[in-house]
Amino acid sequence: MADLIQLLTNGLALGSVYALAAIGFVIVYSATGVVNFAAGQFVMLGTFAGVATLVNAGWPLPVGYAGALALMALFGLLFYAVVYLPLGRSPVVTIIIGTVAIGITLQNAALLTFGSWPFRLPSPVEGMMLEVAGAVIPVHAVAVVVATAVLIGLMWLLLNRTALGIAMRAVAQDAKTARLMGLRVNALLAFTWVLAAVLAGIAGLMLGPMWFADVNMGDPIALKAFAATIIGGFGSLPGAIAGGLFVGLAEVLGASYVSSAYKDLIAFGAMILFLLLRPQGVFGERIQDRG
Amino acid sequence: MIAATQNALSATGITKRFGGLVALADVDLTVGNGEFVALIGPNGAGKSTLLNVLTGLSAPTAGRIALDGRDVTRLPTHRRIRAGLGRTFQHGRLFPRLSVVENIMTGAANRAGRGEAGLRAHALAQLRRMGLERLADQPISALSYGNRRMVELTRVLACEPRVLLLDEPAAGLNLGEVEDLMARLRAIRAEDRIAVVLIEHNMGMVMRLAERVVVLNFGRKIAEGTPAEVQADPAVLAAYLGEGAAHAGR
Repeated sequence: MADLIQLLTNGLALGSVYALAAIGFVIVYSATGVVNFAAGQFVMLGTFAGVATLVNAGWPLPVGYAGALALMALFGLLFYAVVYLPLGRSPVVTIIIGTVAIGITLQNAALLTFGSWPFRLPSPVEGMMLEVAGAVIPVHAVAVVVATAVLIGLMWLLLNRTALGIAMRAVAQDAKTARLMGLRVNALLAFTWVLAAVLAGIAGLMLGPMWFADVNMGDPIALKAFAATIIGGFGSLPGAIAGGLFVGLAEVLGASYVSSAYKDLIAFGAMILFLLLRPQGVFGERIQDRG
Repeated sequence: MIAATQNALSATGITKRFGGLVALADVDLTVGNGEFVALIGPNGAGKSTLLNVLTGLSAPTAGRIALDGRDVTRLPTHRRIRAGLGRTFQHGRLFPRLSVVENIMTGAANRAGRGEAGLRAHALAQLRRMGLERLADQPISALSYGNRRMVELTRVLACEPRVLLLDEPAAGLNLGEVEDLMARLRAIRAEDRIAVVLIEHNMGMVMRLAERVVVLNFGRKIAEGTPAEVQADPAVLAAYLGEGAAHAGR
């Protein structure tokens, strides 16, 4: 029982990180139609932004976190201006290949800057443990789950209860009509990329203390976030959350109860089953409902 | 030009070529403040293309467009909308996964600085005025076709346009709904003094609403005048009914 509580907490924490990465992926996909293959590298960059501000520059925690997220926001804006905007009139496949290129570039830029030796990114609650029903669980894992829940709540408020969010959804559904409503479509798309980058940044900062900060960490995250969106339903935010949590839990429980060699088999096996049997995923909408 | 400063909308020498195809050839269209102009012509005459050029969805090959005397030819679409232009589509284009009131809020968003609560209040007021407030929280998929068209009209009115471009607003509506639409358009004009450009195939509606009718055929303006004048114009009869019919009518 104690083991199970411990595993569930760790699984939910890892799943929260995947869910955030998947949400960033989904908001970009719904707004622009672009499948962002650099999404995993966005998370890696978030971790290393934290390494740069907290470890290398040695800034105090709140300043370091704020600095890392500001860097990510700037990165999102740059990505929009340098990659998405110039390719905006090209076929969507060209933009997707552009994201692959940027992903590879980011990974190698990180390798050049930080080297191949992994870093340890500290947590604000480093080393603190909590005892629940005989189980010892890291406070960091609980904090990750709580922070993700709060972020998801804030995202819901943004998208449903602010003029900005309603405009973002309008742009995602029909950019041409959004222009005819007088909405600043380009600015809203830029904001979407910034938001995706910041969410990935938060995921990276939370993941850093759970894994080692390694320049190759982006690839597994991209695959897991991708699996999460397919299982949850491509383009669906609740799907990204459910899918992310499922993949995280499957990974941690699978490693413990089956074998660490097969821990990824459950998530990817589920993804393949969904692709075969229910390609719209759990929360997917019928394709004709897309604007 | 003096005329350009007096008209709500003034388009001069609009030409639009798609490769070798001339969709619009040197078309002039002026609309006075609060004037109701109908734009008619057979299918493929270039009516919708003209609206696309006016709203900036499509760039003209040549020509100049002014709103209230201000040149907007090079402005992007959203800035033309903010300058007072409004447009609906022939096939309704509501945001399918926003509620009715949210759809209308996107139109109102064009007036900056209202915030979410202000936008919602403005949108609800617009719905109330159109007698549609009971639909506010409905998803678009739950609306009848007629209601969708009315919500679209409400949404463009929430943009508070000075010039409203309507692309076949009565298409697909039943007789009762068409009467209702006409009554609303009359009321909107009387209250708001919005200039209207109406593309419509329903000639009864055109004749009863329009002060002036502009006729396009193969991208050229072939006639312009009061509804009665245009109805009697041989060139118009020829365009609609074929050359023989025009002669037979004499």
